[in-house]
Amino acid sequence: MADARPQAVPEQSEREQVALAGGWHVVVLNDPVNLMSYVVLVFRKVLGFDETKARKHMLEVHELGRSVVWSGDREKAEAYAFTLQQWHLTAVLENDEAH
Amino acid sequence: MKRIEVRLSVEVVEPLLGVIEAAAESLVDKLAVSPTLTGLEPDLCDAWMAELQAAQAKEVRELTGIFDANFRKTGLVAFDESNAEPIIRACTAMRLRIREAFLDRHSDETLESGDVELDDLAPGDRRAFMAYLLLATIQDLVIQHLESSILGE
Repeated sequence: MADARPQAVPEQSEREQVALAGGWHVVVLNDPVNLMSYVVLVFRKVLGFDETKARKHMLEVHELGRSVVWSGDREKAEAYAFTLQQWHLTAVLENDEAH
Repeated sequence: MKRIEVRLSVEVVEPLLGVIEAAAESLVDKLAVSPTLTGLEPDLCDAWMAELQAAQAKEVRELTGIFDANFRKTGLVAFDESNAEPIIRACTAMRLRIREAFLDRHSDETLESGDVELDDLAPGDRRAFMAYLLLATIQDLVIQHLESSILGE
């Protein structure tokens, strides 16, 4: 059986490189419950964002209903989506082929 | 290790524990947010869901555990780097469930603003809303004081 556990979260520099690779996207959707401070913390903790970037994505989720928080290869996108779901954010995977 | 202790009013909180326990019980075998797992292999979906469920159950136990006999005697609850993360995650899971189970008559905007007239609510709804606010307060306090521990800084 396949293992659903996420792979180790890559270091910042690797993440930035992978983000440029495209393909799979981790999208966080708005929900009516989560505090803004919580969403910012989760983005910092899980995705390694600094405060400014985390706040920007949180506001995007809040105001536009969704934010693409990471793009790259499928395996790592799955790992991020899983971890964000562990924090009870509504995170979905999308890929370029679906559009 | 950084640790914070918060003294809550047992008189105020104790009546809310029924709501919190009901929400906790309903989270034993149901996720607070049902994930959309489009395009994943069925085996992977099963493992994915099982791991999310196990993690959620553990953090909910951690949260309900703070309202123990000592809390009922002293009103004190304590948070440190060992429980901060599961506690704030559980607060979110519980709030999502309370929102769904008890407060679905209220609009998102109303709940988000907190602009609810308590006197206009039926007693059950009032307890649910107060439990919803209590969990937000706990979550906010933990984030305010233990953010660096959670971030591993």
